[in-house]
Amino acid sequence: MSDATRIEDYLRALARALRSLPERDRDDIVAEIRAHLEHRAGEGRLDAAIKSLGGPDNCARTFIEEIKIQTAFADGGPAKTFGALLALASRRVTAAAGLFVSLVFFLLAAGFAFTALAEIVTPDLAGFWVGPETGSIMIGTIEPPSVPPAPGEPPAPREIMGRWLILFAAGMAVLFFVIGQWLSRFFIRLMMRRKSPSAI
Amino acid sequence: MDVEIWKSQLRKGAAELAILALLDAGARSGIGLLDALSDRPAIGLSDGSIYPLLNRLEREGRIAGRWETPHGGGRGQKIYSLTADGASALRSMRGAWIGFRNELTAIVGERR
Repeated sequence: MSDATRIEDYLRALARALRSLPERDRDDIVAEIRAHLEHRAGEGRLDAAIKSLGGPDNCARTFIEEIKIQTAFADGGPAKTFGALLALASRRVTAAAGLFVSLVFFLLAAGFAFTALAEIVTPDLAGFWVGPETGSIMIGTIEPPSVPPAPGEPPAPREIMGRWLILFAAGMAVLFFVIGQWLSRFFIRLMMRRKSPSAI
Repeated sequence: MDVEIWKSQLRKGAAELAILALLDAGARSGIGLLDALSDRPAIGLSDGSIYPLLNRLEREGRIAGRWETPHGGGRGQKIYSLTADGASALRSMRGAWIGFRNELTAIVGERR
């Protein structure tokens, strides 16, 4: 196989492995690796150059990891930060831990947002419920018993917050969302600090 | 003890400083940087590791790349130069490195 064919094969596989990146970034990387391989082929060192770059998938992964962490850090948006953690979770323990912790907070935020919405739509079902005897509390929607409890049965839980629940639940949703976002950024920052300069 | 793992930890961050310092002396391509580092294997930068690192430094705004075609035609190359941000990062990193090197050498000594 000629040098030119080997270079084209390598670059085609590299472009395929880089398909998750925006086209401009991908083209720039492929063009630079092309210049590198053609230069080395001119020196008669194509074999060594391909060996040093590693397989196209390996080579692409190093770029993608650098870029995902860096854009998440620069962008700071929750979707990109969370997306970067998701993409890296299978390869790095830090990302998997960050994904789990921030997911818990995002789910809590979603739960409170749902409760706030439920209080607007169906105020009878949503509430800050307190069991009068047990003192247990429950925030969210419950199906109140249609008949009053029989004597001897525990009394039905009481709703204590009324319409204030909208404000309370919305506030908690925002708080948990902000904490989740802060934590996902914290884990990204942790990975950046630990990151070695690419595959050394 | 696996000295290779320790060495790779030692190289973390050092490669970035080496690239910024080389570009401070003049603009170069990826190949140009690799050639300048070819007789310095201890720095640990290879064909596979230098391009993702250059890509990141460019995104961070520490270096700027532009495509150039040599006079009289031939292969185009991406030439990197230091930005103002990169120059200021290099100053801080150089100071930190020299302080670190001096103190560690005072403790470890210079005998091989």
